[in-house]
Amino acid sequence: MATEVVIPMLGITVEKGQIVEWLKDEGDAVEKGESIFVVEADKVTTEVESPASGVLAKILLPAGEPVPVLSVVAIITEPGETLAPQYTTSPKPKTEEAVVETSPQDAPAGLKPPAIGSESETIRIVPAARKLALEKGVDLANVSPTGPEGVITFRDIESASDSRPPQAGEAGTKASTLARRKAEAAGVSLEGIEGTGIRGRIMRGDVDQALRREGPEMQATPSAADVDTNFGRIILMDGMRKTIARRLSSSAFTAPHVTFYADIHMDPLLSYRESILDAFQDRYGLRPSINDFLIKAVALTIREFPLLNGAIQEDEIHILPNINVGLAVALADGLVVPAITDADNNGLLEIVRQRSDLVERALKGRLTMAEMERGTFTISSLAQYEITFFTSILNPPQSGILSVGKTRDELALVDGEVKVRHIASMGLAVDHRIIDGVVAAEFMRDLKKKLETPAFTFLHT
Amino acid sequence: MTAELRPNLIDSTEYDYDLAVIGGGPGGYVSAICGVRKGLRTVLIERDALGGTCLNRGCIPTKSFHYDTRLFRSAALTPVIRGREYLTLDVNQMVERKASVVNTLVSGLTALVNSRGVEVVQGEGVLESPGRIRVKRPDGSVVAVKVKHIILATGSKPYVPPFIGIDGKLVQTTDEILDDPGFPNKIAIIGGGVIGMEMAAIFLNAGTEVTLIEMLPDILASEDKDIREEMKRQLELRKAGIFLNATVKDLSIQNSQAKVTFQTKGDGNLKTTLADKVLVATGRAPVLNGIDISSLGLETDGPFIKVNRRLETNLPGVYAIGDLIGGIMLAHKASAEAETAVENILGADKGIDSHLIPRCIWGLLEIGAVGMSEEEAVQAGREIKTGRFPYAMNGAAHAMGHVEGLVKVVGDAGTGEILGVHILGAHATDLISEAVSVMAMEGAVEDLYAAIKPHPTLSEGVMEAAMDWNRLGIHTPKR
Repeated sequence: MATEVVIPMLGITVEKGQIVEWLKDEGDAVEKGESIFVVEADKVTTEVESPASGVLAKILLPAGEPVPVLSVVAIITEPGETLAPQYTTSPKPKTEEAVVETSPQDAPAGLKPPAIGSESETIRIVPAARKLALEKGVDLANVSPTGPEGVITFRDIESASDSRPPQAGEAGTKASTLARRKAEAAGVSLEGIEGTGIRGRIMRGDVDQALRREGPEMQATPSAADVDTNFGRIILMDGMRKTIARRLSSSAFTAPHVTFYADIHMDPLLSYRESILDAFQDRYGLRPSINDFLIKAVALTIREFPLLNGAIQEDEIHILPNINVGLAVALADGLVVPAITDADNNGLLEIVRQRSDLVERALKGRLTMAEMERGTFTISSLAQYEITFFTSILNPPQSGILSVGKTRDELALVDGEVKVRHIASMGLAVDHRIIDGVVAAEFMRDLKKKLETPAFTFLHT
Repeated sequence: MTAELRPNLIDSTEYDYDLAVIGGGPGGYVSAICGVRKGLRTVLIERDALGGTCLNRGCIPTKSFHYDTRLFRSAALTPVIRGREYLTLDVNQMVERKASVVNTLVSGLTALVNSRGVEVVQGEGVLESPGRIRVKRPDGSVVAVKVKHIILATGSKPYVPPFIGIDGKLVQTTDEILDDPGFPNKIAIIGGGVIGMEMAAIFLNAGTEVTLIEMLPDILASEDKDIREEMKRQLELRKAGIFLNATVKDLSIQNSQAKVTFQTKGDGNLKTTLADKVLVATGRAPVLNGIDISSLGLETDGPFIKVNRRLETNLPGVYAIGDLIGGIMLAHKASAEAETAVENILGADKGIDSHLIPRCIWGLLEIGAVGMSEEEAVQAGREIKTGRFPYAMNGAAHAMGHVEGLVKVVGDAGTGEILGVHILGAHATDLISEAVSVMAMEGAVEDLYAAIKPHPTLSEGVMEAAMDWNRLGIHTPKR
C-alpha cells in the first residue's frame, strides 16, 4: 500500500515548511526511519525520516517551495506496487496539478490538523493551492473544486481569491469585495476574522478591527530602505515572532516570576580564563568564553538543586533527567535558545564545542528543532551591553532563567586598601509556584561561590 | 384605528407598555411593528392619520400629481396620439385620485399595523418625563401611560419664514397646494431644494409658468454638479425662471396676484415677480407638539432634537427618529432609524450610515443618488475615478422616448470603493436601489458590472457607467 510522506508538524506554531534538499531520488529504496529529505521552517532545518520502508515512488514537491505542514510531498510504495492513478495519470506535468494533499482527517494519526481554517469535511487540495489559499485567506469550504475527483486546484483558489467580484455560479464569498481588498492591501488573511455582516459576511470594518487588534508591531529592526515607511504601517508577525509572542505571554501570565539578584566577583573567573585561554586554544583550536564557564557552573549548581531542572505538568513537577542549558542567541529578527546537552556531565571542552557550533548555526538559521526544544534551563546574557542587571521571562516549561548583566568596575575595600573589582550582577528568575525563595537564594549563593572559585569548580573539567 | 388603553395603573411599578411610539409616520409605524415583532408590548400614538407626512401630505400625494401631470404632458406631446391639441388636465379628478390613493394606502396601513398586533391610540401624545406619556384623546379625555421606552417620531411640517403669511389660497405650502393646486398661469416657488424641484416639475408639466427663487448659489445644493447642471438645463429648456443667490424680502398681495420682492447677491438689486400663486418651499421644521423641550430639558441640535449615534436623546430611554432629528428628511431614513432605535432599545449599539441613504427627487427628470458627489469625494481627499453613461446611448431609453439624463459613478481609484452613484433620468429613483444594495454589501465599482443585466433596460446604464469607470465601456465611444 502506498504511504504518503508529509511535511511533519515542525512545532506548534509552525505553519509552513520548505524542503531544502531531497536526500533520496525517485526510485530509491528507503528504510523506515531513514532520513529522506531536509525541511526548513522558521529558520530551523530538520531531517525528516521515512514513515515506511519501500520505494520512493514519486516526489511531489521539489525543493525550494514552502508549503503548509502536513502537505503530501512524496509517495512511498511497497516494492512491486504500482502507483495509484491520482499520482500518475495527471495529464499535466506541473506539480501543482499533479499533487494531491488530503484533508487533516486523512493525515497520519498523531499529527494535529493544520490551523488553516474551517474545513470540516474531507477536502482534497494540491499543496500549491493550499499555500495560495493560506496567503489569500481563502476559506477552502467556499472553493468549488474543478480538479479530478473533486481536488481543489491552484486555479480554483486563484478564482476564489481574485479581486474580481464573484461570478454567477461561483460559491458565495464570505467577505465583501471591499473587505477582501482591504485585507489584501494590508497583507492580512481573512482567516479567523469574525464577520459581522449578514450571515457572518466579513465586512471592511471587521478587517479594520482585526488590524487594530494586531496592534502595534512588535518588530523594530528597520532596514535602511524601510525608514521612510517605518511608521503608519503594519508588520505581519512571522512564525518566529508569533512563537516568541505566544510563549512569552503565556509564560508571563502563567508562572509567577520572582527574580533574585546577586553580585558576582568576576576577577577570579576572568583571571582563570585568561590563564588557560592560550593553552586551551593551542590544544583544541577553540576559545572558551565566559558563557562557557557560566553554563558549566550553572549546570553543576542545578545538579544540587534538581527543582531548577523541573517542569510543571499539570499537578506534577517533572524533574528532567538531563541538564541541558540553553543560551539565548539574538538574531536580526528574533531570538533562539539552543541548548548544550548534559552540561553538568560534559567537560568544558565539550561545552565549548557545542556552544560555538550552536551559536554559529543559530546565526545562519541552521538549528534543528530538537536543539531548540531540549533546554531545561536558560542563560540570557546582555553582558556585551551597558545593562547592569535585568529580569527575564521564563522559557516554558522551564522553571529557571539566569540573566547576566555586564561586568563593571567597582571599588572595594580589600585589606584596608581601596581596590577595583570586576563585578557582574546576575538575576535568577524562577517559577515561584515550584521554587521557593530560599531555594533560589541558596542556588544563587552556590552559583556565586562556584564562579568566584573557578579553579576548584572547573577542577575536573 | 383606536384601541382601548389599559387602565392607568397609578403608583404601580408595572409599566403599561414596553414601548410607546409618538407619531405614526414611516418612522413611527415601523418602530411599532419592529417593537411588536421583537416581543415588546407596544403602543403607537397618532393624533391624525397613520402614514404621516409621507402618505398624507408628502411623498405619495406629490407622486400622484407627478405622474398625472407627466402623463398629461406626454400625451399632449406625443406624435402618435391624435386629437391631443384638445387635451386638458382635470384638476378635480387629479385631487380626487390623489385622495383615493392616500385613502387606500392609509387604510391599508392601518389594517397592516393592527394585524401586527400594534395597539394604536388616537390622540396627541405628550411626553411628560422619561417613562411617562399623557395622551389627549379626541373626545377631550386624557390618559396617562407608563412605559419603559419611548420613541419620538413626530415628524416635520413646512417651515415658513416669519415675514411670509400663508393664506392657503394665493400663498401656500405643500400642505395646502396638494389639495388645491389650481394650476394657474404663473407660480412663483420660493426654494430650489427637493420640494421646490418636485413642485416645479408638476406645475411645468401642467403648463404653468414657473419662477424659482433660491437663496443658495445653486438648486439642489447637495447633489453632484453634473446632475445639478443638467437639471438646470432641463428647467431652462422649459422656460422656467431661475433666480439663484436670491433672498426673498417681501411678499404682498396685489389685485389677486402675489408680488414677491427679492434681492440677488451679485448686483444687490431688488427684483420683483408677480405670480398667480406662491409656493413656499423653504424647508421643514420639526413638529414639537407634545414635546416641551425646555421643561423636559431635551437637548437640541438647531431646531431639531439632538440624539446620539444610537438615536437616544439626552433623556434616558427616550429615542427620537426621522424628520424630528433633521438630517436627510426622507421617509426611508425614518424607517431605517426606526428599526435601529428598536434594536438599540433591546441592547444593540447601532447607528445609521447616512452615507448609504439614497436620495430620490422627482423633478423634470428623476434623480436617484447615493453617497458622495464628485466634489465631496475630492474634498474628502479621495483619489477618485468617475465613470458615466448618457441615457442617449441606451436602447431602452430611446424606445421609451426618455433619452435625457446620465448615470455617473464616483469610485475610489485604488480600492474600487463606490463613493457615490448619481442617476438623472427616467426611473432613476428605481435604478439607484441597485447601487445602494451593492454599496451596502461593500461591493466595488466592478461589482456593478459583474452580473449580467437584462436588455433592453435602463439598468444597463448603471452597468455601462461602472464599466466606463474602468474604461471598459462597450456602448460608449472610446475615450
